[in-house]
Order: sequence, then structure tokens, then C-alpha cells
Amino acid sequence: MTNPITRGRRHFEDLVIGETFPLGPKTITREDIIGFAREFDPFPFHLDEKAARQSLLGGLSASGWQTGALALRMLVDAFLGDVATMGGLGFDDLKWKRPVMKNDTLSGTATITGLRRSRSNPDCGVLTMHLEVRNQRGETAMVLDLSNLVEARKSETREIGDAAQ
Amino acid sequence: MTRWFEDIPLDEAIDLGAHTFTASEIVAFATRYDPQYFHLDPEAARHSIFGGLVASGWHTISIGHRKMVDRLDAEADAIRQLGDEPGVSGPSPGVSSMRFTAPVYPGDTIRYTLTVTGKRHSHSLPGWGLLFNRIDAHNQSGVQVYTADLVGFSKRRDYVMPLGMRLALALSNLPGMKWLRKKS
Repeated sequence: MTNPITRGRRHFEDLVIGETFPLGPKTITREDIIGFAREFDPFPFHLDEKAARQSLLGGLSASGWQTGALALRMLVDAFLGDVATMGGLGFDDLKWKRPVMKNDTLSGTATITGLRRSRSNPDCGVLTMHLEVRNQRGETAMVLDLSNLVEARKSETREIGDAAQ
Repeated sequence: MTRWFEDIPLDEAIDLGAHTFTASEIVAFATRYDPQYFHLDPEAARHSIFGGLVASGWHTISIGHRKMVDRLDAEADAIRQLGDEPGVSGPSPGVSSMRFTAPVYPGDTIRYTLTVTGKRHSHSLPGWGLLFNRIDAHNQSGVQVYTADLVGFSKRRDYVMPLGMRLALALSNLPGMKWLRKKS
């Protein structure tokens, strides 16, 4: 059964380990930081410049969840929007390595690090990507390893070796 | 923001409260951060594996984080009302694992639970401790929608700065010692 929404997109078989995609750039303003923090992360160091200067981060910084959400948006724009993705499975080893401060410009790289058939559903595969987000000085702000389910063109009957990992 | 590092209990499930997801907030979040068709367009989403519109996983966890911050604030207020000084929560260094285990549909009510599964003193930040937090989220039928292992910083009440460090700090505040301040 073909999905009319994703018919023209890249499917599991079209993806290659090692492919990379540039992410961004995207500049984050004071208003962006405070707007997200009010809704999802109202710690004083994301809301108030004075409190932020006295905090561990030393100034107004974006919620780590906002950096993640922006990375996701950059990934959808650069790559995932053209893929027959079926949704996210989760992520591992997310590290906020450096705070994202107001007026920082974020960019980054997504790399395909893993492709395997789903064990439970032979109509799809599991795509793993490593994401790295950097600021305008090239310093790494965040890394994570993201997993997504992707539609396959052809169903594959399970063979020996398919259950690897 | 909350209790001090020393007072935070281990392996106690703390109810963070619940949130009901509406279709309009699901679409609003997806429009900004995760514009995939099954988070954006109810009609197109019928063709997806979910059979309809679902919330972005990042939306579900962002609300979970908000629930945690609100709970910490409420606890800090309660501590202040008793005439005590609440502890301090710091920023998080990361998330070791996040698993989305079931979709969240419009109208679903998700309940969040926090359990501190471990804690230790920070090696990199003197005066702070690390908390190993588990957040679990379940829908109104009791089905788990995600489980996450996160790390957080929490200030140590009983921390005493070593003599050498106090001396260095005092020296760095003397005039003519600016170079030391820059170094530290």
C-alpha cells in the first residue's frame, strides 16, 4: 500500500550511511529565548537577564529543550521533510555542551550513522542520525543521536543476519 | 528552586501533574519546531502509521519539563513558608536516553512522574551535585508514552570550600591580581 503523502520522498532503501546534511543557520534572539522559557522552561536563568548573570551560565541562555527543538526544525527543513519518515523513536546521549546565549547563530551537521530493518515491522527501517549543533564561533553547543522509523519501498522477509543489533 | 541536594530522596515517584493536549496546540508546536505532516495536518495524518494527528515527541517532553519546573517552584514556595531557604537547581548537562513508546493524540491527558534514581557530587563543579532523574509519562489509559533518563545539577547545602580554594579566591580579589581572576 502506497502512502500518497510520502510517495515522492526518499525511502529507507534510498538512504546511505555517512550522508551528511548541513543544518541552519538560525539566529536566536532574546525574545525567542524568553518566549520559549515562559511556555516550557521558566527557570530564572532563561527568563531574567539579572538572575541569569548570577547563575552558572553567566548570562541569558536558551533552554536546552529550545536548542533541541530548533535542531529538530533545522533537521526537518534540511532533510527529514524529504524523507518518508513514520515518526521518531527517541534519542540517546544528548549533551548540552555549551550554553546558547542570546543572538547566537546556530548551525550544524546531521550525519546518517545507522540504517537497519525494523525487527517488528519488515515494511520499515530504523534510521539513526548523529546531530551536532554549533554556535557562530564553531563551538559545539549540543550533540545527540536520533532514531526515526522510515517507510521502505519493498517489504523484506526476515533472513538470517537481519536481526543484527 | 527546591530541596537541597542532601535532602532529595531517591526512588520516590513524584507526581508532576497532567496535561491535556489539544489539536490546536499540537499543530502550533509542530508549525514552529517539527513540521512533519502527521503533526501538522489532520487530513494528511490519516495516511500515517498513527491514523491521525499526533503530538511531536519534542512537544510532549517540553510539557513534561514545564511540569517539573512548576513542581520545583511549588516545593520552593512550601519550603519558604516554613521559614527555610530552598535549594537551587542548575542547568542540565544532558539526557542519556529518551524513548517514545506510544503516540499522543489530541484529547489525550498525559500524566508525568519524576523519580530521582541516583545522585553524586559533581567532579567538575565544586559545590554542586548531580541528580539522575527518570521521567515517565502515561496517557489516560495507563499506557506509557515516553520514558527518559536525564541528568540535573543541584546545589549542595553542606558544601565547604577547601582552604586552598578560599585562599585563591581571596587573593584573586586583591588589587593587582586581575590576571588570576582571568585565569579562574
